[in-house]
Amino acid sequence: MIELKNLTCRYDEKPILQDINIKITDHLSILGANGSGKSTLAKAICNLIDFDGEIEIESKNIKELSLLDKAKSISYIPAKLEVYDIYITVEEFVLLGRFPYKKSFFEYSLKDKKIAKQTLEFLKIEHLKEHTVSSLSSGEQQLTLIAQALTQQSKIIIFDEPTANLDPHNSKIIAEHIKGLKDYHQIILITHDLNLASYIKSPVVFIKEAGAKLYEDDFFNNSTLEELYGVKFESLAVKYE
Amino acid sequence: MSKLIIWVLLFAVLILSPFMGAVSLHVEDIFNPNHLSSTIFFDLRVPRVLFAFFAGIILSLSGLLFQTLFRNALMTPYTLGISSGAVLGAGIAIKLGLGSLLFGIAAISIFGFFGAMITVFLLIYLSQFLRNSQQESLLLLGIALSLFYTSCLMIIFYLGDTMQNDMLIRFTMGSLSIIGWQNPIALGIIAFLLLITIYMYRFELQLLNISDESASLKGVNTKKITLLLLIVSSFGIGTLVSISGPIGFIGLIVPHIVSKIYPSTLNKRIIKTALFGGLFLVLCDTVTRGLQTQSELPIGIVTALIGGPFFIYLIINRSK
Repeated sequence: MIELKNLTCRYDEKPILQDINIKITDHLSILGANGSGKSTLAKAICNLIDFDGEIEIESKNIKELSLLDKAKSISYIPAKLEVYDIYITVEEFVLLGRFPYKKSFFEYSLKDKKIAKQTLEFLKIEHLKEHTVSSLSSGEQQLTLIAQALTQQSKIIIFDEPTANLDPHNSKIIAEHIKGLKDYHQIILITHDLNLASYIKSPVVFIKEAGAKLYEDDFFNNSTLEELYGVKFESLAVKYE
Repeated sequence: MSKLIIWVLLFAVLILSPFMGAVSLHVEDIFNPNHLSSTIFFDLRVPRVLFAFFAGIILSLSGLLFQTLFRNALMTPYTLGISSGAVLGAGIAIKLGLGSLLFGIAAISIFGFFGAMITVFLLIYLSQFLRNSQQESLLLLGIALSLFYTSCLMIIFYLGDTMQNDMLIRFTMGSLSIIGWQNPIALGIIAFLLLITIYMYRFELQLLNISDESASLKGVNTKKITLLLLIVSSFGIGTLVSISGPIGFIGLIVPHIVSKIYPSTLNKRIIKTALFGGLFLVLCDTVTRGLQTQSELPIGIVTALIGGPFFIYLIINRSK
């Protein structure tokens, strides 16, 4: 469970998000226009940026959680994989998700390696384990990021624009995985992809003018979308189902 | 197989290096304690080779560390002006005539060390004000600091007398000419400490090599660990430069070569980079001594001659 109390985030004194109060007990999709503060919200929840107000994760103030405990409760999957280490392999990269559980100074344990292996099998990318992460396609990189987050075994997983860099085929693969993960994790999905959000079928928070409004199940109809985005909607394009 | 040949050759250089130089030595004389050859071998050549070896370890490990923490192949203590800071510190000590010891340590070393540390803290402090494309701006800050330090050194030259200036010029050229065992032992301990520290934090570094954000999300205290590692390696660089003067570009070249020979993730390259760096500087030093010039060519000039063009190559290669 995530609870935001009077959350305010600023950039150069200008509020990006102002007095947000939401109690997220289940899955949630966060939508909004470009620059509306979706990613800012995600980064605040991960305590990566400064904010006013309070954020509680499982009833604990996030600022009081240790970095390792925070990593055990939340994982964050960025839109794009970026590595400076061009030689790191998929297997080594995925194993990094076990860092919060690793004994300081020691190697990753056999258990850690087993969990990484199972995750690669689960996502059907075990054939890529010897490849370098930098040599993969965008779709494979996204799966590798998901694998790393899954080995982190956190209750909450935040997806930040998971399909932004993907073609429709790869988007569908990722969408199916995200939907499947809903049974085991609390999924927070940040996206522009309305098809993806409607397929995932979580309650929606729409961010506009630094505020947030919750829609339980009445978001995906043409009149609501037209009002929020200011453009005409016919029907959603690609079918994920 | 070719990797094995490289290592065998480098180790051969390490073993043969003390036998090479202006005076040829015979093996039977070396082990005769009354013979001059024995003094040359055990009090000059062997300590010098070990000094070069440990200096190479400190320079290449610091290079690897800076490149990892800042995720940029051009970042080294030398390019960021930390070496120049140490040179200026040592220059001030020479100008002030502090040739003697302070608390049992050479005053030049203490001043050189503080020059390096002040530069690190200046860089950390100033980097707070940088925003976009922080890495490149940091490099520019380092270059700006280097230029500023050079001007300060010029003022010292201008005010100095002939003897001081001669000492200063020799110092700024970088030299591995040392006498006795005190310096190699001190440097050996520092090189070992640096290697242990970096190896202990190899997994944190692997995460930091991806991004500060990703390390933080996995539970790494990024600020604390970055600061700790920067201080330990600047301590090593400060000590080294205050003894030898600046020896540039080793930290730039060695990690690059090792990553080409062993294209593997950072963790698997730490010990290899240290070892290769040590042997590489011994090789450079041996070649310099073998050139049989009238007086010995300073090592700092040799590494800069190789390093300058290499730096340009890296810049061009990166932008592709």
